[in-house]
Amino acid sequence: MDPMNYIVLAAIVFTIGAVGVLVRRNAIIVFMCVELMLNACNLAFVSFARMHGNIEGQVIAFFVMVVAAAEVVVGLAIIMQVFRTRRSASVDDANLLRH
Amino acid sequence: MNPLPHTALAAPVITTQPPQIDYALLAPLLVVFAAGVIGVLVEAFVPRPRRRAVQFTLAALALVAAFVLTVVRVALLPAGGAGLTVASASIAVDRPTLFFQGTILVMAIASLLLIAEHRHGESAFAAQAATVPGSEEERAHVLAGSQHTEVYPLVLFAVLGMLMFPASNDFLTMFIALEVMSLPLYLLCGLARRRRLFSQEAAVKYFLLGAFSSAFFLFGIAMVYGYAGSVNFAVIHDTVAAGGAGALPGGGPLLLLGIALVGVGLLFKVGAVPFHSWKPDVYQGAPTPITALMASGTLVAAFGALLRVFYVAFGGSVAEWRPMMWVVAVLTMVLAAVVAVTQRDIKRLLAYSSVVHAGFVLTAVVAASAEGLAGAMFYLAAYGFTTVGAFAVVTLVRVHEGGAESGDIASWAGLGRTSPVLAGSLALFLLAFAGIPLTSGFIGKFAVFEAAVSAGATPLVVVGVLSSAVTAFFYVRIIVLMFFAEPAEARPRVLRPGRLTGAVIGVGVVATLVLGVFPGPVLDRLSPAPGAGTAEAQSVPGGFATTADLFANR
Amino acid sequence: MLSYLAAEPHAVTAAADGVVHSTAWLMIAYPLAGAAVLLLGGRRTNAWGHWLAVAMSLAAFVWAALSLVQLLGLDPAERSRSVHVYEWLTAGSLTIDINLLIDPLSITFALLITGVGSLIHIYSVGYMAEDPGRRRFFGYLNLFVAAMLVLVLADNFVLLFLGWEGVGLASYLLIGFWQHKPSAAVAAKKAFLINRVGDMGLLIAIMLMFGTFGTLAYAPVFASADAAGSAVTTVIGLLLLLGACGKSAQLPLQAWLLDAMEGPTPVSALIHAATMVTAGVYLIVRSGPIFEAAPTAQLVVTIVGAATLLAGAVIGCAKDDIKKALAGSTMSQIGYMTLAAGLGPIGYAAAIAHLVTHGFFKAGLFLGAGSVMHGMNDEVDMRRYGGLRTAMPVTFATFGIGYLAIIGFPFLSGWWTKEGIIEAAFASGGVTGQVLGWAALLGAGLTAFYMSRVMFMTFFGERRWAADAHPHESPRSMTLPMVVLAVGSVALGAVLVYGYRFALFLEPAVGAAEHHEFSLATLLTSWTSLTALAFMVAGVAFAWVRYARAPVPRTAPRGSFVTVAARNELYGNTLNEELFMRPGQALTAAAVSFDEKVVDGVVDGVARGVRDSSEGLRRMQTGFARSYALSMLFGAAVVVALLGVNLV
Repeated sequence: MDPMNYIVLAAIVFTIGAVGVLVRRNAIIVFMCVELMLNACNLAFVSFARMHGNIEGQVIAFFVMVVAAAEVVVGLAIIMQVFRTRRSASVDDANLLRH
Repeated sequence: MNPLPHTALAAPVITTQPPQIDYALLAPLLVVFAAGVIGVLVEAFVPRPRRRAVQFTLAALALVAAFVLTVVRVALLPAGGAGLTVASASIAVDRPTLFFQGTILVMAIASLLLIAEHRHGESAFAAQAATVPGSEEERAHVLAGSQHTEVYPLVLFAVLGMLMFPASNDFLTMFIALEVMSLPLYLLCGLARRRRLFSQEAAVKYFLLGAFSSAFFLFGIAMVYGYAGSVNFAVIHDTVAAGGAGALPGGGPLLLLGIALVGVGLLFKVGAVPFHSWKPDVYQGAPTPITALMASGTLVAAFGALLRVFYVAFGGSVAEWRPMMWVVAVLTMVLAAVVAVTQRDIKRLLAYSSVVHAGFVLTAVVAASAEGLAGAMFYLAAYGFTTVGAFAVVTLVRVHEGGAESGDIASWAGLGRTSPVLAGSLALFLLAFAGIPLTSGFIGKFAVFEAAVSAGATPLVVVGVLSSAVTAFFYVRIIVLMFFAEPAEARPRVLRPGRLTGAVIGVGVVATLVLGVFPGPVLDRLSPAPGAGTAEAQSVPGGFATTADLFANR
Repeated sequence: MLSYLAAEPHAVTAAADGVVHSTAWLMIAYPLAGAAVLLLGGRRTNAWGHWLAVAMSLAAFVWAALSLVQLLGLDPAERSRSVHVYEWLTAGSLTIDINLLIDPLSITFALLITGVGSLIHIYSVGYMAEDPGRRRFFGYLNLFVAAMLVLVLADNFVLLFLGWEGVGLASYLLIGFWQHKPSAAVAAKKAFLINRVGDMGLLIAIMLMFGTFGTLAYAPVFASADAAGSAVTTVIGLLLLLGACGKSAQLPLQAWLLDAMEGPTPVSALIHAATMVTAGVYLIVRSGPIFEAAPTAQLVVTIVGAATLLAGAVIGCAKDDIKKALAGSTMSQIGYMTLAAGLGPIGYAAAIAHLVTHGFFKAGLFLGAGSVMHGMNDEVDMRRYGGLRTAMPVTFATFGIGYLAIIGFPFLSGWWTKEGIIEAAFASGGVTGQVLGWAALLGAGLTAFYMSRVMFMTFFGERRWAADAHPHESPRSMTLPMVVLAVGSVALGAVLVYGYRFALFLEPAVGAAEHHEFSLATLLTSWTSLTALAFMVAGVAFAWVRYARAPVPRTAPRGSFVTVAARNELYGNTLNEELFMRPGQALTAAAVSFDEKVVDGVVDGVARGVRDSSEGLRRMQTGFARSYALSMLFGAAVVVALLGVNLV
C-alpha cells in the first residue's frame, strides 16, 4: 500500500479536528478536537519516518504524546476552574472580553 | 537524533554512544530549570509564611545568575564565526541566541519585580485560584492572607521555555520549548486577584487558541519532516539548497505547506494579523505583571524563533515565503493600527500596539538580511523595555485604594496634573512607541525600515510609515488627555510606586532614553562587525552568503 | 560598508576649527538646558525661570554671532564646514554622525532664530507676566529654539528631520498652551494632523534618498543628485515640497496656520511668522541641487508659491481678527519666498533675504498686535479697535514701520527684498516668468490693501472700543523688542541687498547666480519697481477709501494726494465696482469658505474615516473564542494559498 495514503488520512483527521474546534461549544470537546489534530500529526510523523527510513519521526511522536499529556493537565485545570465559576463549559459563554 | 543516511526501509540504527554535551554553553538554561524545580520543592517543604521570600529570592538569584552566565558565554564563542551548536546540534549558541536570551532575562527580571510587588500583603495574584470568585471560601482565603507562591516556579519554567525557543536548532526542540513556555503562561493568565472572571476567560481563550495554533505548528513540522527527512534546521536548509536532493520525491508541495503551517504557529505567537485576536483579550484579562512578561519576553522569544526558522531552515526559500510575509506585515500594520484608534481600555490599547509593533518587526524579517536581523533584535529589545515600563505604570492606577486597576483611558484624564512624574514616564513610553526621535523607538523603527528599504521593500516601508502615523495619533491622544484635559469625575487613585515597581519604571525610562540617544554601543554589537567574515565573503552585502550563515546551525 | 552619513569631504578637525565652530553645539545646548531646567525643575524655578530662558536664548545668539564673525574671517571657498559632535548611531553598515553644518545659510538662520527669538523671549516676560503657566511657556519657547537650531544646523537629513519633528512638537504644545480654551485644543490637533501629512512626505523623501544615494548627508546626496535621473529627483522634490507645504502653510496644507493663532501672541510672532513656518523655504533652498535636477518639481514649487501668495493675500483681506489677518499675510509672504526658492539659484538669495526681513517686520507686526490686545483686554476683533494711535504711541510707531516695510514702501526692508523676488521672477524668462512676475506684482497690491486695512481699522478712524476698554501703552519689556524689530524693519533690507552683499555671502552655500551691475538708479527706475510702487499705492488708496475715509470722511491727515488718486481711480466708478469689487468679494468669501469647508472637511473626513473603519473592525473582535479560531483558520488558508502560488 502506498504510504502516502497514511498522510492523506492524517490530513483528513487533522481537518476533522480543526472543524471540530470551530463547530463545538463544549470546551472539553473543543480541547479533544485539538488532541485529535495532534494525533493526526503523530500519524504523519510515523508515516514519514517509515518513508524516509529513519527514526526521527517516531521519536517525535513520543515527545508529542508527552506534550499532549502535559497540555491535558493544564487545560483541564483551566476548564475546571471556569466551570466551577460559571457552571458552564461552553466556550461561547466566556465573552466578557471583546471589542 | 543525527540524521541517518536515506537507506530506504533499512532497520534504524541506534548508537549507544552518549552524545557529548558542552554543559557550559547550556548553563543559563540549566540554572533556570534547576531553580524552577527547587521552587516546586520549596512549595512542599518551606513553611507557608516564609515561602514568598524564599521563592522570590530564589527566582531573582536564578535569573540574575542566568543573565551573568549569558554574558560570560559571549567569551566562549569562537571569534569571527557565528557560534556553536550543542547537544547534537539541537541547541544553537550564537550571537542572536545570546542577545535574545539576555534580553529575555532582563525582561523576566523586570517582570519578576512587578510580580513580586506587594501592597498591604496583596499581590496581583488570586489568594486561592481554586475558589469560586465571590464565594465565602474566597473571602476566607483573602482574610487569611493566602497567596500563590507557585507563581514563581511557573514563571521560571515559562522563562526556561522562552530561553530555549529562540535557541532551538531543530523543530522538535522548538516545539518542546514552545510548550514549556506556553503551558505555565496559560495558568498564570488565570490567576488575577481582581476581575477574576476576565482573568479566567483570558486563560481559557489563550489555552484553546494556543493549543489550536500549536497543532498547526506541529502539522507544519510534520510536512517539513516529510520533505527533508529531518527536523534539523541545517539539514532542511541544505536539502532546499541542493534543490531537493535527498528530499522525498515530489515533496515540493510538502515543503510549502510546511512553511505555511509552521509560519501560522509562529505568527500566532508574535500576534500578527489575522492570528492576533487572542492578544487583546488575553493581555486585558491576565494579571498585569504577567501581561508585561508576555508582551516583552514572549514576544522577543517568538520573534527569535521566527527569525531562526525563516532565516536558517527556510533561508533557501526566501523567494517563496517573502510574498506571504509581505501580506501579513501589511495586514498587521494597517488593521491593528486602525482598530487601536477606538480602544478605550489601556491594556487593550497596549495589546493592539504590541500587534502593530510586531508588524514593524515583520518588515525586518521580510528583508532577509544581516541588517534585518540586527534591526529586529534592536527593535525587540527597545520595545521590551518600553512596554514593561508602560505596564508597570498601568499597575499603579487603580479605581480606588486597594481596588482593581483603572483601565478606562477616559478616567486617566488630568493624570499629568495629579501625578506628573508617573504620567511623564508613561508619556515618554508612548512617545517611544510612536517612534519620536531621541527615544529608542525611533532608532528601532529606523533600523527595521532601513533594512527593509535596502532589501527593496520600499512599499512596505511606506505602509509602515503611514501606519506609524496613525499610531502616533492615538498615543498622542493619551498624552493630551493626561496633560491637557480636566481631571475626570471619577478620578482614579494613583498608588505610590513601591520600590520594585519604581525600579522597573525607572529602568524603562533610562533604557528608552539611553537607547534613543546613545544606541551606538548596542547597535555596534548587533550588526555583523566588518571583518567578521573572510575577505571574499565581504564582497557580499553584510559579508554573508546566505541568511543561514548569520546563525550557528551545524 | 556603506556609510549613511559620513562626514563631509572637507570636514575639518576640531583644532583647525576654531573654538567657536568646534563648540557650535553649545548653541543648541544652551536653550535645551534652559528647557530642561524649566520643565523638570517644577515650581522652584517659577521666580527666576523666565529670566533663565531669556539668558539661554541670548547666549545662543551670542554664539551664533561669534560663529558668523569667525565665518567671515575665512576665505569664501572655505565657508562651509561640517563640525563633528558625536556618533549617534553606528553599527556596521549603519552610521549616523551628529555633525553640524556651519555655512552662510545655516548661520543666517541661526542668527534670525536666536536674535528674533531672544527679543520675543524678552517681550514675553511682560506679555505673560500674569499667566500662571509662564514657566512652562518659557520652557517650551527654549525647547523650540533648540529644535529649530537643530533643524537648520543639521548637516544631514536625519538630523534635519529630528529638528523638524521637534519644532512641530513645540509648536503643537504652544498652540494648545491655553488648553482651557477648547478652540486652542482643536487648533493644536488640527496643526498636528496636517503637519503629519507633510512630515510623511518628508520622511518618504528621506527614505527614497537613502534608497537612491545610499547616504543621507547633504554633501554626497547633492553631489550625486544630477546623476540620479530626473524621474527620481522629481519624485523626491515633490515629496520634499509636500513636507515644506505642511510646515510653511502653503497650499494645499495651509489650513492650520490661521487656527494656530489660538496660541499666545509671542508664539505667533516667533513660530508662526518669523521662524518655524519658514522651515519649508529653508528645506527647498537647502535641497536646491535636487530641485535643480528636477525642473518639473521646481515648476510645481513656483506654482504653489504663486498660488499661496495670492490666496493668503485674499484671505488676509477678509479676516476681522487682527492675528488672522496677519496670519493670512504670513502665508502670502512665505508664498513669495517659495516662489523665489523654486526659481533656482537666481531666486535663492532673494528668498532668504526676504525671509530674514520678513522675520523682522512680521514679528514686529505680531508683537504690535499683541501689544494692542494687551491694552484692549485681549480683544482681537479689529472692528472693536480704531483710533488707537494716540493711546499707544510706541506701538503705533513700530507697527507703522512694520506696515510700511511689508507693503514695500521704498527704501524700507520689505521694498528691497520683495523687489528682488519680483525681478527674479521676471528674469526667469518665458511665459512662466511673466505669469509668476505678474502674480507677485498683484500680490504686492493686495498686500498693500489688506495691511492698510489692518492699519486703518486699528489705529485710525473713530474709536469703536468696548465699554470697559482702557487702552494703555505696554510695559518697557514689551515695547523695547518692538523698537529693535522696527529698526531692523527699516534698515536690514538695504544692508542685505545693497551691492548684492547678502547674495555674495550666501554663495558658498547655495551656489552662484549671475548678478548684473548693481546701481540704485536702475533699481529705482526699473519698470518692475515702478509698477510695484503703483500697485502698492493703489492698494493703500483703495483701503483708505474703504476703511479710513468712509466712516470718518472729514479727517484727511497726511497723504491726501493718495485719496485723490484713489477717488479718481476707484471711488464712484460703478463699473469697476461691479466688475472687480463684487467678484473680488465673492472670491474672498469663496476662498475663506474653501478653507473652512473643503480643507477642514478633508482633514476631518480622513480622521472620521479611520475612526469609522476602526469601529467596524472592532466589532470583529466578538469575544467568542470560536470566531477567533475561525479567523485563524482563514488566515492559515490565506498563508497556505500565498505559498501555494509558488507551485503555479
